[in-house]
Amino acid sequence: MTSASKRALVTGGSAGLGAASVGWLQANGYEIVVLDRDRPWTGKTPVQFIRCDLASRTELDDVLPDLIAAGPYDLVLLNAGINATGKFEALDPRAHIDILRVNTEAPMVIAAALLESNACRSGGAMVFVSSLSHFTGYPGAASYAASKDALAIYARSMRKYAASRGVTLTVAFPGPLKTDHAERHSPEGADDSKRMDPDHAARLILADALAGKKSSIPGAGNRVFAVIGRVFPKPVTAVMRRLIYTRLKP
Amino acid sequence: MIGAKPRRILITGGNSGLGLALAQKLARRHSLLLSGRKSQTEVAEILPPGAGYVVADHGDPEMSARALVRGVRDFGWDGLDNAVLNAGTGFVAVGGVDSTDAIRQTLDVNLLAVMLQAQALYPLLRKSSGTLSLIGSVAHKGSASIPAYAASKAGLHGLARALRSEWSGDISVQVLHPGPAKTDMHDKAGYDPGRMRALFLAPDDVAAMMASAIAARRSPVTLSWVKYLNGGAYTGRRL
Ligand SMILES: NC(=O)c1ccc[n+]([C@@H]2O[C@H](COP(=O)([O-])OP(=O)(O)OC[C@H]3O[C@@H](n4cnc5c(N)ncnc54)[C@H](OP(=O)(O)O)[C@@H]3O)[C@@H](O)[C@H]2O)c1
Repeated sequence: MTSASKRALVTGGSAGLGAASVGWLQANGYEIVVLDRDRPWTGKTPVQFIRCDLASRTELDDVLPDLIAAGPYDLVLLNAGINATGKFEALDPRAHIDILRVNTEAPMVIAAALLESNACRSGGAMVFVSSLSHFTGYPGAASYAASKDALAIYARSMRKYAASRGVTLTVAFPGPLKTDHAERHSPEGADDSKRMDPDHAARLILADALAGKKSSIPGAGNRVFAVIGRVFPKPVTAVMRRLIYTRLKP
Repeated sequence: MIGAKPRRILITGGNSGLGLALAQKLARRHSLLLSGRKSQTEVAEILPPGAGYVVADHGDPEMSARALVRGVRDFGWDGLDNAVLNAGTGFVAVGGVDSTDAIRQTLDVNLLAVMLQAQALYPLLRKSSGTLSLIGSVAHKGSASIPAYAASKAGLHGLARALRSEWSGDISVQVLHPGPAKTDMHDKAGYDPGRMRALFLAPDDVAAMMASAIAARRSPVTLSWVKYLNGGAYTGRRL
């Protein structure tokens, strides 16, 4: 690796928003490290692949040194995430545990380790992928909502420390995307034309990250929804309940 | 509220700080079951008379949920009018960044354990049309000195927001965000507030505001100086 080349780490880079981001970054001259679970990377341009199931603490502990050694990074996209929709009390407790481990704990551990060991270049950017649910509430995915709120606030709390290392932190709040993830977890008969194309979302999020913005809400409609959710949290959560919770498959 | 029925109230982390102050406030009128990590003998002298006690270490979230359910049954209760999930921990991020262990412990104790406990207690609360109160913190909006703690409390905020909607009509769910209070928590966390401590509220006053917020069943509620100066510790509903 020459120091002139730009380098990026993308967790959950094998599918969805992560894969779309890898595509955009490669097109813009980045060398890529992908961390993902069991799916090997299948894109055109090769990447350095690090296999890890982020639900497992021991697996993450095992690969952390490799992750650090594969740096330093100009951009880190902490994107890997899982969801489980359903009535909170009816879901398998294992699902709640995995959601918290993958969506919150793992990116927090990775971010702390990379920043502390100077595996992010000064002038670089780190992106935490939260969710639009941060502004709207998410009845029907309570543990997911909790996991993404926790991540957003961790990022906000770490901004000063990251800045001391010359790294900007961006929190992305994407709304529904046309990915397998969203398809699995949206109610039957939901209108998928309202979901955003992941390539488009990736482009917008990465542009915001490279501009050093604190937050990125891709899509004008989503930004409006976020503002309304901030001003009128209760009615917006009630709308979410009608759109999602009451339509859950029994 | 003359004639109001005594309530069956579970308070986690009820052997110290805010949880204990709340228990002392409620002990005369209500039936209490408290939990903590310490053993029964260690806390026997501290607990209000008549209160039950169950050991539930949130460091093992799944086991803590099972321990609470068993504790409720063993205490002879077939339902719960209130569950106040208050136990919590925090570590100051030395040098500005939490260690991996601190991140995992904080999330386990403050967030995952609460999630699994809420799930496990659901049938008991539902049976009594009870109230589930999660104890967050004003730090839920972010804090550079305690990032993992702030994250865990933000998670509770989001959890309560979603569950309040999911369970509406069956169980009232709320999150209460206390401001800094004079408990042992700051010592345990490795944080010396110095002269700032003079500005912290007395646990007793915070507990009084918690009690009226629990009775009012609104969410989210911030319990800080603003509320205190508005008479929050002396007015409002009684549980
Ligand atoms: N004090 C403040 O300024 C402040 C401000 C905002 C929010 N809060 C929140 O209020 C709640 C109570 O805090 P506090 O000030 O009363 O603190 P505290 O005096 O330190 O009491 C904490 C309680 O939680 C229990 N606990 C801690 N770790 C546990 C674990 N792993 N398993 C089971 N129980 C555990 C402790 O039981 P053991 O003694 O048996 O370990 C103790 O009863 C916490 O959720 C805290 O985050 C406090």
